[in-house]
Amino acid sequence: MAVNGVTTQDETVSESAISLFSNYALDGTIFDEMFQENGRPRLPYQKLLQSILELQASELTQRQQAADLTFLNRGITFTVYGEDSTIERIFPYDILPRIISEKEWNKIDRGLCQRIHAINLFLRDVYHEGRILQEGKVPFDLIYSCRNYQREMRGVKVSNDVYASIVGSDLVRLPSGEFAVLEDNLRVPSGVSYMLANREVMTQVFPGMFGGYGIKPIGHYGQALLQQLQTLTPKGRDATIVLLTPGIFNSAYFEHTFLARVMGIELVEGADLLIHDGFVYMRTTSGLQRVDVIYRRIDDEFVDPLHFHPDSVLGVPGLFNAYRAGNITLANAIGTGIADDKAVYAFVPEMIRYYLGEEPILQNIETYLCLRDDERAYVLDNLDKLVVKAVGESGGYGMLIGPYSTAREREDFRSQIQEEPRNFIAQPTLSLSRAPCFINGHVVSRHVDLRPFILYGGEQENTVIVPGGLTRVALREGSLVVNSSQGGGSKDTWVLQDI
Amino acid sequence: MKYYTIHHHTRYRYDSEVRESTMEVRMQPRTDRQQRCLNFRLEVRPQARVLTTSDCMQNAIHYFDIPSRHSELTLRAQTLVMVQEPDPLPESLEESAWKELEIDAATGQHWDWLTPSAFARPTPLLSEFASEIGFDKDKDPLSVISRLNEGIHAAIEYTPNSTAVDSPIDIALKNRRGVCQDFSHIMIALLRKAGIPARYISGYIFQDSDSMKGTNLSSATHAWVEAFLPGIGWTGIDPTNNSYVHAKHIRIALGRDYADVPPTRGVFKGGAKSELSVGVHIAETEDEDIPQDLLDNGHWTTRDRVEYEGSLGSRAAQEQQQQQ
Repeated sequence: MAVNGVTTQDETVSESAISLFSNYALDGTIFDEMFQENGRPRLPYQKLLQSILELQASELTQRQQAADLTFLNRGITFTVYGEDSTIERIFPYDILPRIISEKEWNKIDRGLCQRIHAINLFLRDVYHEGRILQEGKVPFDLIYSCRNYQREMRGVKVSNDVYASIVGSDLVRLPSGEFAVLEDNLRVPSGVSYMLANREVMTQVFPGMFGGYGIKPIGHYGQALLQQLQTLTPKGRDATIVLLTPGIFNSAYFEHTFLARVMGIELVEGADLLIHDGFVYMRTTSGLQRVDVIYRRIDDEFVDPLHFHPDSVLGVPGLFNAYRAGNITLANAIGTGIADDKAVYAFVPEMIRYYLGEEPILQNIETYLCLRDDERAYVLDNLDKLVVKAVGESGGYGMLIGPYSTAREREDFRSQIQEEPRNFIAQPTLSLSRAPCFINGHVVSRHVDLRPFILYGGEQENTVIVPGGLTRVALREGSLVVNSSQGGGSKDTWVLQDI
Repeated sequence: MKYYTIHHHTRYRYDSEVRESTMEVRMQPRTDRQQRCLNFRLEVRPQARVLTTSDCMQNAIHYFDIPSRHSELTLRAQTLVMVQEPDPLPESLEESAWKELEIDAATGQHWDWLTPSAFARPTPLLSEFASEIGFDKDKDPLSVISRLNEGIHAAIEYTPNSTAVDSPIDIALKNRRGVCQDFSHIMIALLRKAGIPARYISGYIFQDSDSMKGTNLSSATHAWVEAFLPGIGWTGIDPTNNSYVHAKHIRIALGRDYADVPPTRGVFKGGAKSELSVGVHIAETEDEDIPQDLLDNGHWTTRDRVEYEGSLGSRAAQEQQQQQ
C-alpha cells in the first residue's frame, strides 16, 4: 500500500495507520532515514515501522507521555542562555529511534578514529615542531590568530601525547546517503548523558521493541571513559580522578553529575581543589587528597585565574604550573580549541593526508574561509544561499542561515564579516537527512544530525566509540537547527548488529 | 664584561589576613647570548617551597603557594649576573633589509613580535603621533629605529608615576608623559606596524653616578625594547634614554608586552587590600670569580642604599611593579 508516497509491505494496514503517516513528507532532494525514494522502508527500519503500525497513535502518545514523565522525574534538563535570563528545560525527546546499519556504522567508526588521531597529531605538532605550518599545509596565521591558540602550551609535554581524549563530532547525512563531518568538538563536548538517558528511557517505554532487534549496547560508556582517563596517568586504576564542573548554572550540569556518578568519581568545583607545592589536592572531610586526573568541563580561559582570566572564580589558581610540571593530567588538554575552530576544520582532510598518508574516510563539508579574499567575495555575494558561522562559537550561536534569514540579518553579518574576516566561515546550506518523529499524534519527518562520542587513547586502535551517539532533531517543521539551545530535541540511536 | 649583584626586595602587606596565596615570579635574569645568570636565590616569607619552571619564551619562573593565613608576604631575590657589552651597531643597514624582513615574516616565526598585543597595539592617537614625529619606512630598518628612538624621547617626557601599570599607550600619548613601560609599548607598536619584529624586555638598569648624568630614571627596574634586524639579530633599544642597550642593561624576561612578564603575579583568598613596597639595589662588582658562598652566607643583607619606592594603598597590588 502507499500513503502519500509512503509504502509499507503490510497489506492489512488500518485506517488509523494511514492517518498516522498522513503528514509524512518525502522529498527526493533530502535523504529520508526510514524510507527509500520509492516509498518502501529501508531494511533496518522495517520492524520499527511494523511496530508503529501495530501500536497506533493513541498508544504511541501514551508512551511518549511516559517518556516525558521519566525525563522530568529524573531531572534530565539543560539550560538555555538568553540575553536577560536563563531557562531550565527538559530535553525534548522523540520516542522513535534512529537506526543505523552495522555497515554504515563501521565506516563512521573507522572514519572518526582516523580523523581524531590526525587531529591529535596536529595538536602535538602545532605545540611543538610546527612542521605542518612550516610546510604551509595549514597557514600559520590561521593558527596563531586563533582565539583558542594557547602559546603557553608550546613545548609542554602532554600525557601520552593525547590532547583531545574526549571528543564529540557532528555528522550529517547528505542527500547521497553519505555521512559527512560538520564539525568536531574538542574542548568540552556535551550530550553523552542524553545519549545514555535516551537509551534507558527507550528500554522502559518500548521494552518489546528491543527483543526484535539486535542493538549494539552503549551502557558501557561510563566505564570506557573512566578507563580512558586512567590510561592518561601512570597510576592507572589507582589514580584519583575528579570531574571539574563550572557549577550548577552551567547548561550541562546535569551531565556533569550524571557522568561523575556513573564513573564513581568526585564531582568538584574549582573551590574544592587547591594547589600546594605544585600538586593538586581535593578538600575532603578527611583532609586533602592528591588528585591525578581532572576531567574538566571548564573552558581553557577559566581553569586558572593566575594564567588566564584573572577575574574568573571557576578554576584553580596555579593549576597551569602544576600542569606544566606534569603533576596533573587534564582531559582534554589545554589548547585543543585550535582544532575545533571552524576555519581550521577546513584543513582536517589535509591533516589526515599529511600525518597518516591516508585519504579521509569521512568527508568534510565544503567550507569557504572569509579570511581569503576570493572566498570572502563569494560568500558576501551569496549570503542568501549559504550558512555563515562564527569560527569560535558553538551551540548554534553566531550563525546565519542564508535561505531563512532576513535582509537585515544578512546586512548585519556582512558588516561583521568585513570587519573580522578571520572570524567567519561559510558552508552551503545542507539538506540534512530527515528521520521519522512522533509529534502531535502523527509520524512526521524532521531533520537530524548525529553526534558520536569518541574516546581517543593515543592510537587509532586504542580509540573507543560507543556505537551510535546522540541523534539531535530539529523539532520545528522545516528547521535545520538541531541544537538543544535552539529548540532541538533528541532521540535514541540504534546501531544494529549485522542484518 | 660586567658583573652585577642585585637585591630585589618585595613586600606585600594585607590589611587583613589572607590565605592560599599562589604566586609566580619573574625575577631571574635570562641566560643567553649576551648574559649569564651565575646565581639566583629567592627567599619567601612566610616560608614556602619555591619551584621553578619556564614559560613559552624561556623566561625563568619561580612559583610557590602559602596555604596558611598571613598578613605579610616578602620576597628577597638575590642575583649575580654577568653581562657582555653588545657588538657595536653599524650606522645603517642595506635597504634590502626590508625585503629580508618580509621574507622572514612569511615564515611565521616572528608572529608574536609582529602582531599587536594587549598593550602594544595601534590606536588613532598612535597614528597621529607617528606622523607628528615623521615616522615612516623610507630608510633602512636601523635608521628608522634610531629616528624613532629620538622622536619618542623628544616628544614624551619621562615622568615617574604619570601612568599606571595597566595604562594603555593612549594615556602617555595624550599627556606626553610616561614611564619606561609606556616608552617601550609605544615603540613596539610602531616597530611592528613598520614590519620590524619587536619585543618587550623587563629588566634592571645599573646606574652609577656617571651614567646618572643625562637621565633621571627613578628606579633600577627598567623596561626596554628589542627589535630583530636582518644580519644582526635581536638588538636592544632603550627609548626612555634614547640609546641602544649596553652592558648596564640586565635582561630578566622578554614578552610581547608588559602583560607577559610582570615581576610577580598572584592570587590569594580573603577580601584584603594589599600594599606593596619594592626595593632594588644593584652593585657592580669587579671580581670575576666571586666565591659561590657569597650568595649563601648572609653577606647580602639589605643595605641602606635599598630604595623603597613609596607605597601605594588603593590601587591593585601590582601597581608598583610598573616598570619605570
